[in-house]
Amino acid sequence: MLTLYHWEPNANSGKPMLTLAEKGVEYQSHYLDLLRFDQHQPEYLRINPDGTIPALVHDERVLTESTPMMEYIDEEFPGPPLRPADPLERWRMRWWMRFFDAYFAPSLSMIGWSVFVGPAARQRDPRELQAAIARIPLESRRIAWRKALFNEFSEAELAESRRRVGFAIGILEAHLGAHSWIAGDSYSLGDINGFNLGYALPLSQPERCNDQRTPRIMEWLRRIYERPAAKQTWAKGRTQMAARIKLLERK
Amino acid sequence: MSGTLQLFHWEPNGYFLKPLIALHEKGVAFASHWFDPTALEQFDARFPGNTESALQLEREGPLLVQGATVISSSFFMLEYIAEALPGPDLCAGGALEHYRARASGQFLTALGADVSLLGCARYLAPVLRGRDQAALSSRLQAVEPLERRNAWLAFLDGTYTEEILAKVRERLKFPVGRVEQTLAARPWLAGPAYSIADIDAFAMLRPLARLVPELIGERQTPRIVEFLQRMEDRQAVRQALALSRSGKPHEAFVPGAEPSRWG
Repeated sequence: MLTLYHWEPNANSGKPMLTLAEKGVEYQSHYLDLLRFDQHQPEYLRINPDGTIPALVHDERVLTESTPMMEYIDEEFPGPPLRPADPLERWRMRWWMRFFDAYFAPSLSMIGWSVFVGPAARQRDPRELQAAIARIPLESRRIAWRKALFNEFSEAELAESRRRVGFAIGILEAHLGAHSWIAGDSYSLGDINGFNLGYALPLSQPERCNDQRTPRIMEWLRRIYERPAAKQTWAKGRTQMAARIKLLERK
Repeated sequence: MSGTLQLFHWEPNGYFLKPLIALHEKGVAFASHWFDPTALEQFDARFPGNTESALQLEREGPLLVQGATVISSSFFMLEYIAEALPGPDLCAGGALEHYRARASGQFLTALGADVSLLGCARYLAPVLRGRDQAALSSRLQAVEPLERRNAWLAFLDGTYTEEILAKVRERLKFPVGRVEQTLAARPWLAGPAYSIADIDAFAMLRPLARLVPELIGERQTPRIVEFLQRMEDRQAVRQALALSRSGKPHEAFVPGAEPSRWG
C-alpha cells in the first residue's frame, strides 16, 4: 500500500510525484491544500506530527523528507533507474539537489511568498491566520509561516534573495553548458528536483531566465516538460500554480 | 575510478572529522593533505577546487580528490566513500535505512550550522581579532563567493551578539532532543547497524557536548552520551582523532553552513 500526501505538483510535493510517475509506480494520492493549512489538521498530524508535506506512507513506513524520499522511491520500486550508476555522478546529483533545496529554493520562495502567496493569504481574517500559525507543531515552521503571511521580510532580506536567485540562475546555466543533465549524461533525480524548483522561472524571473539570457536552462526545462511523466504529474494540479507549466510549450 | 585518493583536511573536528573516520573505517589508503583554513590556505590559487567546492554550502570543509574530480560537502562525501570504496559496508540495510541516513544527514545540517557558529564565536573570533586587521581584511575582501566572505566577516564585525548566541543555544535543544529520541528507538541512527549517519552525527555532537555542556549529559541525554562513548571506542574514530596536531581538535572551527534565512 502506497499513499502520498501532497499539495500541488510544485516544489517539495512535486518531487515524489514526478519520481513516482517516472518509475511508473501507482499510488493513492491524498491532496492537502497547503494554503488552507490542511497539513496542520489533527488527522494529518497523526501521520506526520511535524505537519510538513509531502509524506509518503509505504505499508508501515512513514517518510517525510522529500529529497531523501525520492532516493527511497528509486531504490525500493522497479522501473527505470533515476540515479546514475557512477558514484561520482551520484555525488554530483546529490550536491546539486542540496544546492537547489538549501540555497536556491529558500531565496526563490521568499520572493514568491512576498509577492504572490502572502498578499493572497492576507485577504483572510488575521485572527484566523494567527490561529492557524499557532497550530503549527514546529517552532521553525511557525516562524517561517509568520514571516510569510504577515510580510515580515525586511528589504535587505528580499534584496539578498533576489541577488542569490540571479546568482543561482547563472551558475545553473553554466552547469548545463558542461553537462546535458544535472548529474552528467543521464536524466536523474537531480533534474526532477531542479525542475520542481525552476519550471516557473521564465514567469517569475522573466528578465533573468529566458531564451536569450539562459538558453540552456530553457531547453533543459522544456526537455523535462516534454517527458510523459511530467505531463501526467502536472495534470494532477488543481490551481493556476500548476498551470504555469504550460509556458514551457514550444512555440 | 582512477588516481590516488587525496583528502585535504584540517583538524579532526566537525565537517573535517567525517571523511577521516569513514576512510579509516574502510581501511583504504589515501594521501592526507593537512591545511590551515584559518590562514585561508583554501583560497590559494593552487588549492584544488571546482564550482561545487567553491559554492559548497558548508562554507569551509574537507575536499576529497579522486583523479580529476574534487568532491565536497561532507555528508555527500561520506555517501561517496561508502558507495565507491572497498571495505566494510557503511550503508547497511535497505531502502528504509538508507532513507533514514539521508534524512538524518539533512536534518542535522541545521545542527551543524549552529555548532559551527558557536564554535567560531568562542574559538575562531579571538584568533582572527589577534591578527593584523588590515592584512586580514584585504585577504577576506578577495574571497568569493560573497557568502563565504561574509561568513568570515561576521566573526569580526560583531554580527553574533550574546543575544543571538543565546538563541542559537536554545534552538539546539530541538535537534538534540530528536537525536535522543531516535537513539531510544534503535541502537544506531539509521537502524540496527552502524552507518554514515552515525559518523555524521558524531562529528557534530562531539564538539557540541563541550560547547554547550548543559545540553548533553548523563541526566539530559543519556542515550547520546552512551552513543558518543560507543563512537569514541571505535578504532577508526581513535585513528582519525589521533591525526590532530593541536591536541585540541574540539576547538578547531571555521565558518560552517548558514542558519536558515527564514528564521
